[in-house]
Amino acid sequence: MARFRQLVLSWEAGLVVLTVLVVIFGQLADHDLISSFNLQTTALNNVILLCLALGVAPVIMTGDIDLSVVGTLALSGVVMGDLMAHGMATGLAIAIGLVLALVCGLINGLLVVLFDLPALAVTLGTMGAYTGISFLILGGLAITTFPNSVVSLGSSNLTGTQVPFATVVVLAIAAIMAYLVHFTTWGKSLFAVGGSRKAALFSGIAVNRVRITTFIISGFLAGFAGLLFLGNYETAQAGMGASQLLPAITAVILGGVSAYGGTGTIPGVVLAAILLALLQSALGLHGFSGEGQTMAVGFLLIIAIGAQPLARSARDWWRRHAGVREIASAGTGESRGGSESSSGASGAEVRSTAVN
Amino acid sequence: MSDPRAVSESDKLVAPPIVELRGIKRSFGGLQALSGVSMTLRRGEIVGLLGENGAGKSTLVKILTGVLEPDGGQIVIDGEIRRVSNPRVARELGIAATYQEPAVFPDLDVAENLFAGRQPTRRGIIDWGSMYKTAEEVFREIGVDLDPHVPLYQLGIADRQIIEIAKSLISGARVLILDEPTSVLSSREVDSLFILLNSLRERGISLVFVSHKLDEVKAITDRVVVLRDGALVAEKPTADVSVSELVQMMCGRAIGELYPSLTRVAGDTILEVKHLTRRGYFQDVSFTLRRGEILGLAGLVGAGRTELAEAIFGISQAESGTMTLDGVAYTATSPRHAVRVGIAYLPEDRLSNGLVMGMRVPFNMTMTVWGRIANRFGRFRTRVMYRQSAELAARVQLQAGRLNQLTSSLSGGNQQKVVLGKWLATEPRILILDEPTHGIDVGTKAEVLGIVAELAATGVAVIFISSELEEVRAMSTRLLVMREGSVVAEFATPVDAHVILEAASGVDAKHES
Amino acid sequence: MSAAEMISDVATSSARRSRVNAMVRRSDTALLGLIALITLVAVATLSDFRTLSNINNLLNTTALIAIVAIGEAVVILARQIDLSVGAILGICAYLVGEWSGHFSGPFGPVIGVLLALALGAGFGLGNALLVNVFKMPAIIATLATLSIYTGLQIIVNNGSQLYLTQVPKWLAGLRGNAWFGIGTFIWIAAIVLVAVSFILRRTRFGRDVYALGSNPEAAAYLGVKIRLRTFQIFALCGALAGLGGLLYTSQFGNVDATAGNGMNLTVIAAAVVGGVSLFGGAGTALSAVLGALLLGEIQNVLELTRISIFAEQTLQGAAIVIAVAVYAVVSRRLRRPVRREAFLSEHPTLNPAAIEAAGGTSNG
Repeated sequence: MARFRQLVLSWEAGLVVLTVLVVIFGQLADHDLISSFNLQTTALNNVILLCLALGVAPVIMTGDIDLSVVGTLALSGVVMGDLMAHGMATGLAIAIGLVLALVCGLINGLLVVLFDLPALAVTLGTMGAYTGISFLILGGLAITTFPNSVVSLGSSNLTGTQVPFATVVVLAIAAIMAYLVHFTTWGKSLFAVGGSRKAALFSGIAVNRVRITTFIISGFLAGFAGLLFLGNYETAQAGMGASQLLPAITAVILGGVSAYGGTGTIPGVVLAAILLALLQSALGLHGFSGEGQTMAVGFLLIIAIGAQPLARSARDWWRRHAGVREIASAGTGESRGGSESSSGASGAEVRSTAVN
Repeated sequence: MSDPRAVSESDKLVAPPIVELRGIKRSFGGLQALSGVSMTLRRGEIVGLLGENGAGKSTLVKILTGVLEPDGGQIVIDGEIRRVSNPRVARELGIAATYQEPAVFPDLDVAENLFAGRQPTRRGIIDWGSMYKTAEEVFREIGVDLDPHVPLYQLGIADRQIIEIAKSLISGARVLILDEPTSVLSSREVDSLFILLNSLRERGISLVFVSHKLDEVKAITDRVVVLRDGALVAEKPTADVSVSELVQMMCGRAIGELYPSLTRVAGDTILEVKHLTRRGYFQDVSFTLRRGEILGLAGLVGAGRTELAEAIFGISQAESGTMTLDGVAYTATSPRHAVRVGIAYLPEDRLSNGLVMGMRVPFNMTMTVWGRIANRFGRFRTRVMYRQSAELAARVQLQAGRLNQLTSSLSGGNQQKVVLGKWLATEPRILILDEPTHGIDVGTKAEVLGIVAELAATGVAVIFISSELEEVRAMSTRLLVMREGSVVAEFATPVDAHVILEAASGVDAKHES
Repeated sequence: MSAAEMISDVATSSARRSRVNAMVRRSDTALLGLIALITLVAVATLSDFRTLSNINNLLNTTALIAIVAIGEAVVILARQIDLSVGAILGICAYLVGEWSGHFSGPFGPVIGVLLALALGAGFGLGNALLVNVFKMPAIIATLATLSIYTGLQIIVNNGSQLYLTQVPKWLAGLRGNAWFGIGTFIWIAAIVLVAVSFILRRTRFGRDVYALGSNPEAAAYLGVKIRLRTFQIFALCGALAGLGGLLYTSQFGNVDATAGNGMNLTVIAAAVVGGVSLFGGAGTALSAVLGALLLGEIQNVLELTRISIFAEQTLQGAAIVIAVAVYAVVSRRLRRPVRREAFLSEHPTLNPAAIEAAGGTSNG
């Protein structure tokens, strides 16, 4: 019973409710929101953002941040496109692009973790640097021809169905990430490091290794997103994908990952991405322009981040008044003692479902 | 002593006290921290405030500075009963305090730190000239030569303290409370500080010197006030008491049944430390640790014990010296490595360093052995975790109902049990405990200490760091005392409390005035 | 040891005075030196660099960036960040350009400038609102407003752009004008530099900015009005971005929906390279200007030598990373660990005789 209550009250449930509301909103405009065509288009338009979000989420969970994902996307996308345009075998070109993306992530990891530099500043810088290198390679040119395999990855449907291939692939990636984050020791370490880096370190967890791997994964998935971009838009251009940074971060925060680290779920991020996708589509059907949709995403980010502390207080209130018994043993006065108050350290405990 | 500015003895007696505390009471939950303490602070006087950890000193200081309010009793300032409801009110009334870690602005220069938030202005704009001039004047008056143009990050802690003191003076403090001011100072810096304090006394400031260092208290104070278990046990002119009398007054409690009986096993040597040094923290530390013994590590705050423990556990690295673990050379490269070789460490700061508050108890309880909980493919076997944490909870006597709770909702004592459990999980050969009973209620304290004694009986070597005299005395089979980074004494227990304290404070029993 | 000698020992720290001041001046002089060096080399080797049009162009662009970078520097000094400056610049460029067409006459320029400042400040207040009231970390708050303001920018442009012909003459001609031989842009940048430097050094607001950046908790404890200051800081940054927008209209004539894109990275890079620490509390308005000069010059040289006109972002990104790394290394060396000195002292713990000699009682 307690489990069920937890599930109903969870952040993810809230996202599902919002999604339903959005769908209703969309249907009111134009009954086409749920049409297969519209869903297909929506799905394709948003796989890139989900792919990026899946990579950034673990980084934020450990208490760091990675703004450079769009730079990595652009760089590896441009490199892959350029190599393919020069006749290299598709498989090899893709492999090189993905390895390059891995390296971009590794550089971030080394700078932030080994050199102990602030992640914000470093990834702001590498975002510029990686995007800049894509400009150095391609300048103002655009590549528009790609091998069929790439295009079908990015644009076509699973044979015989209406489901885009790319969506399936990204959802598979999401499943893998969910497994890694929620079912492996590495995943538990993410929450420990994000919750209290020192406590994790003192407990013998390989904090540096955990942090560096999140940057590497973030880079790799950004590279994969670049590949999807090539297939979907059939264009390789310097600086491509820059507009995806905000939606990706929004999906992560909206998905329940705290900006301070230590909490969040991958399913939450997926749900948030779906919500975002449907919202943009619904707005479009109501006549909002592209910019209007982007602005809506911005507002949504604000609301999402404002909602987290609210959810936390609501959860505390519920816990206090719903007769849930916690210990409140006698305080021990002047010593540093335990934290008798339920709002404890970070708002992390509200996200308890995350670490169960 | 015929300084015209000096406050004469007759002045002191005639003038009304600045601050009078009458029957101050304060409790937290069920614990009575202060049970009716009365104290007077007069102009031109240095009062020493003494007492063991938990005696009520810091609560009293917090009440004086407005951080806390008393449950009972009165605060009388300049003859009027006042309510000191927050720090700002205290500051306005002229009460200021300096702490070991002064809150400063490292990027700003000295003058600006002195005037932070209250920069002098002339016609609306900040008057730097007047700021520097006033700073120089103040420094000259109190006999300190600091350049007000220097940015604060260039200055060490001794200078920062002086600046804190100067800051209080500038804002018109009449009562200045110094909380353990010398624990992070070198002896030369202490001398200079005392010159400063004396000059402040000459100017009529009332000083409260809170310290464990009895030799310093003897040297600088006019009067001593001793607290014990929340009550005032003595108030005497400093000249009339000896150090050993002070010690008696501070720790005069019987041991009682709080402490478990210890099995004195003379096992073989498991750890040999030779000439371990880390400049500025500890130097030339050598000792041996045997299986099954509880090696107590006593000393005052700042003696370097935690730093030594961290160097053994791999959180920081010693600069020179060697360690041998069971005959094999051991270099502490990281906590991960230390855990692998069987060393466990319960840190002093449980909340930030001991537990991840956002995770539930079973996760914290097993954090050190997550590697073992995973299967071959890295999958985290939650059922195994619950099983293990239940076993560990039983071992540390943590009640079953607490099991799947949020760690932050546990009491301090239960949280410490979780930390202990997490380390038991590693089946350590060496267990280092740093102030393990800080902030824990009496009942849990006894349980925790009992578990430690049992562990030692099974052959685990324990290093027990504690600033509580009675505790470290009762829990050790052998005792080392550290002072200012060096091991200065070794005792076989049982040993008298005052002997430990004297070794820790550096006062030879012979040199008493 | 006499008391006087003891006292003078305490003062050894102040012997560092000259070293510290020299250090501070050194980073600025180092930058100036670097700029001078590059200028000399460029003038000597690149004929294209020496042309009047290139120099003018370079100085004008740099002045514009410098003005916005000064605003960003103030925000960074307070340990915040503003990623939306580019969008603020873009919107103001369009709107002020369009609206000031309605104000002709001698007061036109004055109204135009005030309008730009006020509009920019308004957007800045939006940022501050999110940080103060919604308690969002500035990085995420300004990421959100970046998209919102960019969206607004597109809406306002409404598919078209602002043409030079719609812009009042005083504005259009601003770029080309010169007062006493020096271009107006440079004058404006100089005025902003002097004004902001004054504010930072000589007003409570300015000192609070440094306090907030250096130790926000201590600032709160000492009664700094954090909410008020946050509003003021972001408003100032927005206002300067708005002013930059005004100059942008003059510089480029046609303002479309992409005006100001990428400016965010540029101004942050300029501030950081110039010596404003991303941790807050260190740096000056001059730092931002020098950084803008240095980066602008390097950019210019790269373009002229055909290395690439596309090097801009790479340059800025790499510059940020390098600057942060260098600063971290240097500040770690500089900051004395807050620990007591090694127990090297040979003095006994106390020397009662010395204390007595200094005039204090040794307890009697």
